[in-house]
Amino acid sequence: MKKLSQVIKPGFLLSMPYMAHLTLFFIYPVVFSLILVFHRWDVVTPMEFVGLKNFIRVFSDEVFMQSIINTGVFLVLHIPLQIMVALFFANLLNQKIIARGFFRTLYFLPVVVSGVVVTILFQQLFNYDTGLLNQFLYKLGLGQVPWLVSENWAMPSIAFMATWKNVGLYVILFMGGLQSIPTELYEAAELEGASSTQRFYYITLPMLNPTIVTVIVLSVIGGFSLFIEPYVMTGGGPMNSTLSAVLYIYNQAFNFGHMGYASTMGLFFAVIIFTVVKIQRKFVETEVY
Amino acid sequence: MNCNNVNEGVNEREEGNKTITYWSSPNPQEFALAKQLVDEWNELGHEVKVKLQALPAGQSSEEVLLSAMVAGTTPDICSNIWPGITNDFIRAKGLLALDLFDDYDLVMGERVPEDILESVKAKDGHTYQIPWKTNPIMVQYNTKMFRDAGVTEFPKTYSGFLDAASKITKDNDGDGRIDQWMGYRDIRPIWWQRYYDYYTSYINASGGKTFFDKGELAIDVDASNKVFKFYQQIYEGGYFPQSTLQGNAFLYSRIAVEFTGPWNISFLEKNAPEDLEYDFAPLPVPDDYEGEIYTYGDHKNIAIFSNTKYPEESWEFVKFLISKEADYRLLEFASQIPIRKELLTDPDFAEFFKQNLSLARFARQAAFTRGVDSVRDFKEILDSVSRYYEKASVYGKMTPDEATHDMIEAIEILREWNK
Amino acid sequence: MKKSILYTVLIIGAIVFAYPFVWMFFSTFKPDGEIGNIQLLPEIWTWENYQLVFDRIPIARGFLNSLIVTSMVTLSVTIFGSITGYAFSRLKWKGRDAMFSLSLLTMMIPFQITLIPTYILIVKFGLTDHLAGLIVPTMITAFSILLFRQSFLTIPQDLVDAARLDGCSELGILFRIILPLSKPVVVTVAILTFVANWNEVLWPLIVIRDQSLMTMPQMVALFAVGGGSDSSIGAQLASALLLALPVIIAYLIFQKHFIKSMASSGLKS
Repeated sequence: MKKLSQVIKPGFLLSMPYMAHLTLFFIYPVVFSLILVFHRWDVVTPMEFVGLKNFIRVFSDEVFMQSIINTGVFLVLHIPLQIMVALFFANLLNQKIIARGFFRTLYFLPVVVSGVVVTILFQQLFNYDTGLLNQFLYKLGLGQVPWLVSENWAMPSIAFMATWKNVGLYVILFMGGLQSIPTELYEAAELEGASSTQRFYYITLPMLNPTIVTVIVLSVIGGFSLFIEPYVMTGGGPMNSTLSAVLYIYNQAFNFGHMGYASTMGLFFAVIIFTVVKIQRKFVETEVY
Repeated sequence: MNCNNVNEGVNEREEGNKTITYWSSPNPQEFALAKQLVDEWNELGHEVKVKLQALPAGQSSEEVLLSAMVAGTTPDICSNIWPGITNDFIRAKGLLALDLFDDYDLVMGERVPEDILESVKAKDGHTYQIPWKTNPIMVQYNTKMFRDAGVTEFPKTYSGFLDAASKITKDNDGDGRIDQWMGYRDIRPIWWQRYYDYYTSYINASGGKTFFDKGELAIDVDASNKVFKFYQQIYEGGYFPQSTLQGNAFLYSRIAVEFTGPWNISFLEKNAPEDLEYDFAPLPVPDDYEGEIYTYGDHKNIAIFSNTKYPEESWEFVKFLISKEADYRLLEFASQIPIRKELLTDPDFAEFFKQNLSLARFARQAAFTRGVDSVRDFKEILDSVSRYYEKASVYGKMTPDEATHDMIEAIEILREWNK
Repeated sequence: MKKSILYTVLIIGAIVFAYPFVWMFFSTFKPDGEIGNIQLLPEIWTWENYQLVFDRIPIARGFLNSLIVTSMVTLSVTIFGSITGYAFSRLKWKGRDAMFSLSLLTMMIPFQITLIPTYILIVKFGLTDHLAGLIVPTMITAFSILLFRQSFLTIPQDLVDAARLDGCSELGILFRIILPLSKPVVVTVAILTFVANWNEVLWPLIVIRDQSLMTMPQMVALFAVGGGSDSSIGAQLASALLLALPVIIAYLIFQKHFIKSMASSGLKS
């Protein structure tokens, strides 16, 4: 009797658990979702074929379009802010300072804590009447800000909160990137009379480009999954300004039982994400400055 | 081996012990009551015993029940059924038709008012749920705060309410910001929040109408306009804060008014500070309104699931749950109102209501309540309502007329899609 | 930049990142009426917020559930990730590269597509309202396979050859030779998986309805959104603090590892 591993290659054998898992939890769902988009289903009663109805509905669904725009707004606000702040602090922490570890630990703390915690916390801080931020602002004579109760301020508030939560991670990444820039480059530049600003633009930024790209890619993918913050803080309001795509899809599927329609939106959204990531790869990677 | 989430009750049956599983609300008072009743029943020597379980607490009891249906783990009996979802259950053939029992007419005739009985009939003419209790929404108000503002009687009309609001809302500690309001409502567009503002006021302003009439959408445009306008004026005047005010504002006398139901009575009795003076009044009506004052009554019904092994015994237990004795205790221990005919004139209950004036107010109101329509898209409809309520009333970005008009259009569109 | 300005800015940064947590901590000991006050320390110290939390939700149970689920997932991901990573890096077999590309593809498809069908699959298996429903879908991840594969590629071939000559089985080679040399990547995968899974809230919200099976973040999120807290801010903050506590403690103990893990993962992607 031959050993099993002599009949089937061991590599194949060892990958079987993964392949089984992949089939069940990736291939099957992707295939099923492509079928589901042509049906209507609420899980409790049998599936019903509806042809292209879901597609037509998606194209006429203003709220869905709004939710995608909202997600885009979030990304546009959150990512540049995050990069600038992270770069700023990474630069500072890169200098010769004592207690660097202390600061790094503190800045990184919000990253590991759950999004739920941060959301509950900020919901209180942002509260119009009783929140800390408005209390301070009022005492300083600057009036109150309608953080979560104005369609113009709500998504920016969430973007601000997301930046607060994640910036520590990117500080660390940038620190790693900064440290890998050879000091000779700076020395040479200084000898040639380059100012610190010039050194920053012509040496630091280009050398950091891979890191910046990484940061952008990670943030974009994370940003598209925006869900728990609007779910807890605003319920999607005011006036749908914080309704993220995932939240809307979640509501349609699990609150209203429109599985087929929700799957269709999921598909559309996934295509959009895919496209954005692809464009971003091309665009950002060729851009040096 | 079956990997399913098999109902514990089924295992017990296989052991030779006949039981039926009864799910009650996890609300502490209701559960305690249920325990009392179940223990008593079991001691009466029936062949089939009742096993009590609290409905698994989850996001909402409706979702829990639907999940149980999907997973095949429903109980025999549940007493926390919200009429809005029975449609889903009926479609899935999950409930037992109760009118098929011999003594159905007798039992129902003794207890349930005609019009409510009619309203729980399903499209196919059968009845799958028994109206059990209702929690009418009324206004809970701080009598002291009203007195201090010079308002001696709780206002009956919209203008009276708004007038009182302008007197009560103020800046107490002189720091330039208002810190005392007339009331508070959650302004987030979450569908079930509307039960405590728009929906209940709509039933009130329309004289007892719901959104549907005989299965067709029939929103009373005039009533809806009035409701949107009323709340718009409240927010315009700053009488309710435009933020998610939290903390127990009523307990701390930060707000003077709360739209709530009788369940709050036991909450107040437990938690209110000594000096808090409060009473209950019916919702204010539009200025030109005449007639009985209606409100939203969060009806809860009892149903038997169709996969029960002991339908006859389950029915016996259900009858026990709605007996006079049980209804009395519902009032006494859980401060909730049973849907029973002539509750206030029945001599057996007279003494109780003499002692509990607040509950008496709710009991009186209970005869004039409306629930939700048993329509599949009800949640989505309220979600639409929330959007327009937010736009028109909370943020004043639309006129009430526009809001009503657009809302009806939106509801019709979504009903079309869902056909 | 002048040192004094440098430190000032850094300290302001530290305050910005730390103060909200400090505020949260003290607020949980204030009665509701006081939470709106600017003053940081409570006038009256009270346990009532924590009492309400423990009264209303089985938060300890939630913690246990999270612990069970996340530990199992972390264990499984690490083990299967390393096995599969080994198969993809040190063993030759037909279809190996195709499979690896497929696994990379899975990382590019956003979860929004697979979310609902995966839920339906879980329903079909009867795993809704079951901790297994939380564990199984994430028991093996392409990301961990990627990390392990990349790390294993750097192991010198001679070591592997020598072990084979000795008659070691493939799994034996993996566990006795390669993994001991790959401690950093094991730690990285373990920490990343643990943190991500612990904080995961969308999937539990979909799969688990029964409160006694909810994960800790899920329970706290629902506590804040639903009416269970009677709108008590203090109680909501208390529940949030309790949720944050285990992670903060773990973080403070294993700081270096946390930070290194997350940093290296960023570079790799």
